Amino acid sequence: MQKDFKEFIKMYLMANAHARDITMSLVSFTKIRGNTANSIKQAIIESLDLIKYPFKKETKNVIIKPNMCYYWDYSTGHTTDPKFVAALIDTIREKISPNTDISIVESDASAMKCKYAFKMLGYEKLSKEYDVKLVNLSEDICTKVDVKAGSQLFRLMVPQTIQKADLKINVPKIKYMTEKIKITCALKNIFGCNPYPRKFKYHPRLAEAIVAINKALKFNLCLIDGNIVSGVHPVRLGLVMASKDPVAIDVAAAKIAGVNPSTIDYIQLAKKEGLGNMFFIPKGESLEYFGARYPRKSLQDKVISKAFSLAVQVGLGKRLGLE
Amino acid sequence: MKKVGLGLIGLGYVGKIHFQHSRKLDNASLVAVSDLSKKALKAARNAGVKKTFTNYEQLLKDSDIDAVIIALPTHLHLECARKAAEAKKDIFLEKPVARNVTEAQEIVSCAQRNSVKLMIGYPLRFNRKFSEIKEKIKSGTLGDVKIAHATYISAGPFFQRTESYSPIPVPEWWFKKEYTGGGALIDIGSHMINLLRWYFGEVKDIRSLLGYRFNMDLEDSAICLAKFESGTAAVISVGWFSQKLFLEINLHGSVNNITVGRSRENRLLTAVQMLTTGTSKFFQSHFAGLQYFVDCLIHDLPPSPSGEDGVRDLEAISMAYENQIHLD
Repeated sequence: MQKDFKEFIKMYLMANAHARDITMSLVSFTKIRGNTANSIKQAIIESLDLIKYPFKKETKNVIIKPNMCYYWDYSTGHTTDPKFVAALIDTIREKISPNTDISIVESDASAMKCKYAFKMLGYEKLSKEYDVKLVNLSEDICTKVDVKAGSQLFRLMVPQTIQKADLKINVPKIKYMTEKIKITCALKNIFGCNPYPRKFKYHPRLAEAIVAINKALKFNLCLIDGNIVSGVHPVRLGLVMASKDPVAIDVAAAKIAGVNPSTIDYIQLAKKEGLGNMFFIPKGESLEYFGARYPRKSLQDKVISKAFSLAVQVGLGKRLGLE
Repeated sequence: MKKVGLGLIGLGYVGKIHFQHSRKLDNASLVAVSDLSKKALKAARNAGVKKTFTNYEQLLKDSDIDAVIIALPTHLHLECARKAAEAKKDIFLEKPVARNVTEAQEIVSCAQRNSVKLMIGYPLRFNRKFSEIKEKIKSGTLGDVKIAHATYISAGPFFQRTESYSPIPVPEWWFKKEYTGGGALIDIGSHMINLLRWYFGEVKDIRSLLGYRFNMDLEDSAICLAKFESGTAAVISVGWFSQKLFLEINLHGSVNNITVGRSRENRLLTAVQMLTTGTSKFFQSHFAGLQYFVDCLIHDLPPSPSGEDGVRDLEAISMAYENQIHLD
């Protein structure tokens, strides 16, 4: 009954979106049927077809930004699976041209160096097998730009590889966090394009920094590798999501992870800054199907994690052996 | 009684643990610390250590220091241990002794030439559960132990993977074989081989199957099949690839069997232990090992595991690297 009511509200909103002047973006949800390279590729193609993504034959340079998290490989749900990126590369070369120039980009972070991450997480092998470039954005030539997000002004470095690309594809993971940020997905993944390695300096104004870098770089397409997701533990969710709108896809990802998107500061700010829409038209499988299977945190997990985060913040972390 | 004056060289991950412990020892006081990091030295000064050095050779000149704890990257062990021995300081050296057998032998010779004591930091030897096994084997409770399984799986240097903790940078030396001497086998395999040698005598033969999940030059997993002097056959499995720590010894004797393990405690219990004792249960055996070293110095006893023990461990590891099994 409750489900029917929800469906009714959804249909009503969609039907009246135009009349109420609500802009809606397409977000597709596709199930990966099986765990082979081909099944991942089929799901990617299906998800892109559902949002009617128009690949352009004249595209020459493509960059792919996966999510590489520390040295935690794809099995943890924290890092984009190189098999997923391989399937995407195949798709791009089929849809555009076999000669399309493709680069995989990432930057050094406080606790991760690309020279090791590329190797350890399987991207160096992928680069050789698929003849794609690996670019450490922290070593790229950059241009300085001033970007305002909310009340904050940032001087950001825009890497040349990103500037020159005709097509920029963001391939994030869905990660539930107990910290203030709550989830990380499409918008947060672009934060990793900031070539400055000591990214924790942005943490006091993280929402603004995430939005600023998204404003500066503007990716064309978001394609979520939701094959394995990390919540309270990693789970094979078998999901591919696609959208041209990073805000809408993050809203959808938040819902899957069981987080109210209106409580996530950077999503709200991104919407205000015109990066995308909070409302979306779902295509393909139902969001609820994946939401029901996402490994959400129990109240106990949340309380314990909050207590530990608080202990670290108030300086008790060392005495408790957390740092 | 005069307290033993200690100098701590290296304030990295394990150095910080020794730092906490060395200030709580009976009959010893931490006189000075040395590290390249000025931030780490500042933290040491704030914690009450009066003498801090960026160059450990300065520390070795201090006459108030009787013994040093060396907690440096493996490639620096030989030079530091040699200088410490020449400065007539007794040495507590972190495992593995060195990158290879030759370096390890040189360290032992230096210690002997200069008549200083040398102990290798193998904390499992000071864990009650693992030392009780030794007693059970000795007393015959298990009968003849025919098969042993020793497993130590962890995240290795890529620790702190859990969601509540922020990832910490991995020191670069960990990624380079020329600095470490090897991967998971030398790093945590040395713990298991040392323990099994303590139980069953010297390694007569050993083969290894190495794994490279993370595509590094260093193995991130190893399965060794070893035969010991006692006739016990052992399967030693070690790995750097898992977010979940697993450490277990499993012995099958002709009379009985025993399984002893150790895992990270639950976080609430750890928090209580840290607040009350300043160290978690996991690191209590590190503390016990250091306390034993100080006791050996006071009573002029030869410490164990000795430098020779460390050499024997590296000989077994070296044989395992040489005798690799390759499976398709």
